[in-house]
Amino acid sequence: MNQLIIGALLLLVLALPPVRHLLESIMIVHMHMQMPLLVVAGFLTAKYMQEKLPGFFKKWNRNGLPGILLFVIIMVYWTLPRTMDEALTVPAVEIFKYVSLPFLAGVPLRDSWKKLSVSGKNTVFTGFTMLFFGMGWLYIKSPEQLCNNYLLVEQLTLGWGFVTMAVCMVVYLVYKALVDPSEYE
Amino acid sequence: MSTPLQALKKKTNEALGIRPEDAVLSKSYLLVAFAALLIGGILGLLQGLNRAGLLDLPHWFNYYQVLTAHGLLLVLVLTAFFTIGYFYAALSHTLGGLLPKVRKLAWVGFGLKMAGFVLAVIPILMNKATVLYTFYPPMAASPVFYFGLVFIVLGVWMCAFGCFIQVANWRKQNKGKHVPILAYFATGVFVLLFFGSIPVTIEVFMIIPWSLGWVETINVMVARTLFWAFGHTLVNIWYLTAVSAWYVVVPKVIGGRRFSDTLTRVVIFLLVIMNIPGGFHHQIIDPGIAESVKFLHVFMSLAIGLPSLMTAYAMFSVFEKTAKKKGGKGVFGWFKKLPWGDVRFLAPMMAMIAFIPGGAGGIVQSTNQLNQVVHNTMWIVGHFHLTVGMSVVLTFFGISYWLVPYLSKRVLTPKLNKLGVIQTIIWSAGMGLMAIAMHWVGLLGSPRRTSYTTYFDNATALGWDPYLLFLAVGGTLLMIGVILQVYAVVHLMFFAPKGETEFPIAEEEEDAAKTPYWTERWGRIIFVMLLVIAMGYVIPMVEFIVNAPPGSPPFKTW
Repeated sequence: MNQLIIGALLLLVLALPPVRHLLESIMIVHMHMQMPLLVVAGFLTAKYMQEKLPGFFKKWNRNGLPGILLFVIIMVYWTLPRTMDEALTVPAVEIFKYVSLPFLAGVPLRDSWKKLSVSGKNTVFTGFTMLFFGMGWLYIKSPEQLCNNYLLVEQLTLGWGFVTMAVCMVVYLVYKALVDPSEYE
Repeated sequence: MSTPLQALKKKTNEALGIRPEDAVLSKSYLLVAFAALLIGGILGLLQGLNRAGLLDLPHWFNYYQVLTAHGLLLVLVLTAFFTIGYFYAALSHTLGGLLPKVRKLAWVGFGLKMAGFVLAVIPILMNKATVLYTFYPPMAASPVFYFGLVFIVLGVWMCAFGCFIQVANWRKQNKGKHVPILAYFATGVFVLLFFGSIPVTIEVFMIIPWSLGWVETINVMVARTLFWAFGHTLVNIWYLTAVSAWYVVVPKVIGGRRFSDTLTRVVIFLLVIMNIPGGFHHQIIDPGIAESVKFLHVFMSLAIGLPSLMTAYAMFSVFEKTAKKKGGKGVFGWFKKLPWGDVRFLAPMMAMIAFIPGGAGGIVQSTNQLNQVVHNTMWIVGHFHLTVGMSVVLTFFGISYWLVPYLSKRVLTPKLNKLGVIQTIIWSAGMGLMAIAMHWVGLLGSPRRTSYTTYFDNATALGWDPYLLFLAVGGTLLMIGVILQVYAVVHLMFFAPKGETEFPIAEEEEDAAKTPYWTERWGRIIFVMLLVIAMGYVIPMVEFIVNAPPGSPPFKTW
C-alpha cells in the first residue's frame, strides 16, 4: 500500500506542469530522468496490482517473457528521437508517454524480473548495454538535429549520457562475471 | 562461517589488544596528522592576526603562501592521515588483525604520501606554488607541486586497495555475515576516496603539461569541475569518518547501545552514492552551466541533507534512551545525565552541536539565490571552520583520547581527561567566536582569501575591522587548543601510564531487527554511484568541452 501511494504520488508530481516543463526543457533530462522516473512510478504501483490481480499476471506472464518483451518494446520506442518530438508537440502522445512508461514498462518489469532466469536477466542487461552504445553513437555522430525541439549540443549531451551509462553497465557486467557471490555469501 | 583460525585471531585480538605491527602503522599516521595540526595551527594564527590588521607578514612569507600551506596541511594532511590511521586501527581491531600484504600496502601508501607532501611543500615555501589549497587553473604553480599531488593520490589509492583486500578476505572467511560496522564505514570511506580522487587525477594530468609549457592553454571550467568533484567528496569523507564515531563509539562511551544497524548502513551508502555530483554546489555562481541544470544540482546537493537528518535523529534518540535508562527525566532534563565530564563524549558532542548551524549554513550556500550573497566572502570560511574545524576535527580529537592510548597500550588518566575537557571548551569557544565573526563579516561583504587591506580607508571596509578582531581572538584561543591537543596526543602515545584501553564499539539493541543482506552488495552500490555521477556530470561537461572558450594560459598572480 505504501509503495502504491509513493508510486502514485511520484506520477502525480511528474505530471505537474512546472515539473513537466523543467524536465522536458533539457533533452537528456527528458529521456534519462523523466522517463525512467515514470517507469519507477509504475514499478512501485506494480506490487498492489500483483496482489489485486494475481490471476492476470499468472495467466499472461507466467515465465516473465511476455512482460519483459513488452518492457523492451516500450523502452526501445521511447529511445527514438521522433517519439520525444511528438511527446512535446502532440498531446495524445504525451498522454501515451505518461501511461505507457509506468504501466506498460514499469509494471511488467517488476512482474517479470524475478521470474527470469539468470541468463535471461543477463541477456536483457547486455541487450540494453548494446542499445545504449548504439543510441549513444547515433546521437553523437549524427551531424543533423534529430529532434526539432532540441539543439545539436543537447543531442550530443544525450549521446554521451547513453555512452557513460553503457560504460557503467559494462563495469557492472564485468563485476558480475568476475566476482562469484557464493565466495562471500 | 568463520574458520577456527579466524575465531582464534579475533579472540587473541580482543585479549591482547592490537598487534604491535598494526599499532605502529596507525600511530605513525596519527603522529603525522597531529604534527600537521601543530604547524597548520601556527600558520592559521598568523593569518588570523594578519586579517585583523595586527600583524604584517614579511614579503618572503606572504599571506597567500601561509594560506596555501595552512589549507594543505589541515584539510589534506591532518584529515587524510587521521582518517587512514583511525580506520586501519578499526580494520585491525574488528577484522582480526591486518593481513601482512595490507599492512605493506599501507606503508607503501605512507611513503608515497610523505614523498608527495615534501614535493608539494618545497615549491610552496619557495613561493612558487601559492595557488591556495584549491589548486585549480588559471593560477599555475611550479610543476613540482603537481608531481607531489600525483604521489599523494597514489599513496591514498594504496590504502584504499589495502582496505578492499582486507574486507574481501574477511568476507570470504565469514560467508554470509555482515561486515562489522566500522569496517563497513571504512569501506564506504575508501570507496569515496578512490572514486573521488579519479577526477582530481585527471585534472592534475591536464595541468602538468600546461604548467610545463607543453600546451599553451587549459580549459578552466573542466579543470574546476574535476577539482570540485574531488573537493566535495573529500568533505564528505571527513564527515563520514566523524559520523562513524558518532554512530559506533559515542553510544558505547555513554553506556548505551547503537541505533538501528540497517539505518547506519543505509546512511553510509546513501552518502557514497549521492556524494560526488554534490561538487556542483561549489560552482553555483560559475558561468557555463544553465540555470535549470543548476537547479537540478541544488536538488541533488540538498539530497545529501537527508542522511544527515537521519543521523541527527538517530544520535539524539540514542542519547535520550541512554540518559532515561540512567534515570534522566523530562523533555530536556535527561541532558544532565549525559557524561559531560568525559572528553571522549564531550568533544564529539560539541562537534555534533556545531553541525546543527554548520549544516544549516551549508543549505544556505547550496541555494542559488542565497549563495549569490555569500559567495567568496568570509561567510564561506566561517562555514568550513564550523564544519571541518568543529564537527570533524573535534570528533577526531575526541577519538584520539581513546585511540592513542589503545594503540600505545596506555591509559587516559583523570588528569589528562580534565585537560581534554578544557581543550574542548577552549577549542569550542575559539572556533565559535571565529566562525560567527567570519559568517557575520562575510554578510557585510568582506571577501575571503584577501590579505588585510582597508581599500584606501573605504568606510565599508573599515566597518569590517571590529569583526575581524574576533578572528585574532578566536585564532589565539585555537592556538592554545592546538598546543593542548598535541601535548595530549604525545603524552598518551609515549608517557601516560601503561595499561589496557578498550576500543569502544557499542552493541546493537537486544531486540534489534535483522539487517537485510543487500546492504553488503557493494558491487550494486558502486554501480548506482557511477550512474549518479554520470547523471551529474554529462550535461555540464559536454557543454564545457563542446562550447569551450579559447582556454587560459597559466597565470602567476603573486
